[in-house]
Amino acid sequence: METGRTDSPASSQPKWRKVAYGGMQPGFDDNHIDESFLAEMVMNANVVKRSMLKVMLDSVSISQYLCVVALVVLVWTYTLQSIISENLLLLLDVIVLGLGFLVLVSTAETLSFSLLLNYFLKISFFITALYVLSPIYHTLTRSISSDSIIALTASLIVLHLFLHNYSGSTVKALGALENPSFTSNISLNASIVASLLIASRLPSRLHVFAIVFFSVQVFLFVPLVTYCIKKYSFRLHIFVSFVLMMVTLTFVYRLHTLLFVLFFGVLVFVNLVCPYWLIRIQEYKFEINGPWDEAKLCFDITE
Amino acid sequence: MSNQRRHRILMVSDFYYPNFGGVENHIYYLSQCLLTLGHKVVVMTHAYGNRSGVRHVTGGLKVYYVPWVPFIMQNTFPTLYGTLPIIRTILVREKISLVHGHQAFSTLCNEALMHARTMGYKVVFTDHSLYGFADVGSIHMNKVLQFTLADVSQAICVSHTSKENTVLRSGLPPEKVFVIPNAVDTAMFKPAAERLSSDEIIIVVISRLVYRKGADLLVEVIPGVCRLFPNVRFIIGGDGPKRVRLEEMREKHSLQDRVDMLGAVPHAKVQSVLISGHIFLNSSLTEAFCIAILEAASCGLLTVSTRVGGVPEVLPDDMIVLAEPDPDDMVQAIAKAIQILPQIDPQNMHLRMKKLYSWHDVAKRTEIVYDRALKCSDQNLLERLSRYLTCGSWAGKLFCLVMIIDYLLWHLLQLWKPDAHIEEVPDITYGQQEERPSNFD
Repeated sequence: METGRTDSPASSQPKWRKVAYGGMQPGFDDNHIDESFLAEMVMNANVVKRSMLKVMLDSVSISQYLCVVALVVLVWTYTLQSIISENLLLLLDVIVLGLGFLVLVSTAETLSFSLLLNYFLKISFFITALYVLSPIYHTLTRSISSDSIIALTASLIVLHLFLHNYSGSTVKALGALENPSFTSNISLNASIVASLLIASRLPSRLHVFAIVFFSVQVFLFVPLVTYCIKKYSFRLHIFVSFVLMMVTLTFVYRLHTLLFVLFFGVLVFVNLVCPYWLIRIQEYKFEINGPWDEAKLCFDITE
Repeated sequence: MSNQRRHRILMVSDFYYPNFGGVENHIYYLSQCLLTLGHKVVVMTHAYGNRSGVRHVTGGLKVYYVPWVPFIMQNTFPTLYGTLPIIRTILVREKISLVHGHQAFSTLCNEALMHARTMGYKVVFTDHSLYGFADVGSIHMNKVLQFTLADVSQAICVSHTSKENTVLRSGLPPEKVFVIPNAVDTAMFKPAAERLSSDEIIIVVISRLVYRKGADLLVEVIPGVCRLFPNVRFIIGGDGPKRVRLEEMREKHSLQDRVDMLGAVPHAKVQSVLISGHIFLNSSLTEAFCIAILEAASCGLLTVSTRVGGVPEVLPDDMIVLAEPDPDDMVQAIAKAIQILPQIDPQNMHLRMKKLYSWHDVAKRTEIVYDRALKCSDQNLLERLSRYLTCGSWAGKLFCLVMIIDYLLWHLLQLWKPDAHIEEVPDITYGQQEERPSNFD
């Protein structure tokens, strides 16, 4: 039994059709391969050609946030070593809050007074609650050794960085279409737990209050602020990121040389090696589409 | 029929009655028709609840419900070698000559085919579904399929689209893959004796109400159709997670008196639901073949369906109206169907379906595939290992290792319990075999 093409004269032979009904097609075996076989297959239809510069500039967002987290960790370290006093911390809180609002107000296109009032109300509620709760946080992990706390904090921060949504913002920004995803919520929670753990190692309640307030401000609102900056002007975003990187690298260098080398390595990896790597592996991309793909719905499902 | 041409076939799949679906249906009808052709057929599946052990069903079909508990979606837990002893015993006991596995994501099928190849049996595989290439699940499934099919004698797909898909996924040479569609039991799906009045047009939907079957599409389409045609009613049979959405839609557009929700319909009742309607609506987002369309057409209903997967191949153009999976296009297709409805004669449609599809035809075509499979040359382990090696730089070596261990285990088993010690089952010929086949014409 050979493949059906050869037998029976060509003139009387009906054409092979791509149909399943009507039994075996006369003159053709069931394993007949027509010229139309795989004709509807489309390869690499959705592949985007990426330019190296574009990818590098996009990866700046990641290194920018890495710097932000590194700065927070620096503040934690100095506070734990009692280099930063509680008053300085409170001053830092106020500066960060003021800067954040300044950026929000100056970059937003539509910002009503009532919304600002709403923000202020929420923040004052938050501050009050945090102040009331700080004695509890102060003694939260007294029975656990500092080593465990540091180790746990470090792993939580790694988890936070791993799951963080680098392209969006942790809280829903004005005009953003989507709500934060599940993973980005986990990431935010990890960072807040980490800051509470660190706070519980500090000497006084005011310390605890100030450090938690500072960390939450940064982890919750810095992504929003950077998102606003990026939307406002990409050049400004790049400029801010470079300033942040320089500042962070200087502080890390003053803390420890090895850490500086490591951190610098990470920045180079994120901004130069990874984009190059991505462009290189693009040529291995092999995407197949065809009639067997599951159809995509062209409307949103509202549950 | 001469004894030499008689095949002794073991059908293996995780999916068999009492579970219900396209694969179960296919195995049952194919086995019945192969039995009438004079072959011996044994089915092997996993235990369903307390249904465990050997059962004899219609026409002397023997079913082994292997006591192996399913863990997810009726699939047995993949253990690679756990099923080797029992599969070997069944193969020897029943003097099987050929193993036929069904459905790519059935672990029992994959394991059985692997062991059967190790023991030197010829194997045939039927793929019943379509897979993409993009998501992690599909990538994993495709690798497993590549492993199973690396050494399969012949493969069968249910539609040409499914064949293209399987060839791409498994890297099998296309001349080894046969297209043999499903069929429909036209004796069971007969149209209503009297023609329904056409004052009110009834559209029937019977499917599981899940995302893949396009339940969300229905939610958009039904209000649109009801607005355009005041004389249209819907009957929806089936249950599933999306049922709530459909009920919400019914409330929101106050269509309670125009959309009937029947809930799950047992397969025996499907025909009586189908013949109460004029048009059958299928909204699947992916479908390798779609037996539901055949059942509806056999009951004389005009079908409106999404143009996905193998659906365009299933019926001649004048028996089906196809639409893109988009609400507006679907509504237009239904409008077109309502327009051509007066020209449709259900009895005539039923007679045409009788000519187009029959399980006997499917069995005869499958028989040819079995003959081909048995003609394939025997290969020793080394020759077969070289095929696995080509499956990928890492995967290939892993597959080889799996097969070598399987081979060693098989030899150990033979030492522990030689083939001669396994009791062979006598073949029972059923007297009433001649009366039965009329059911499946």
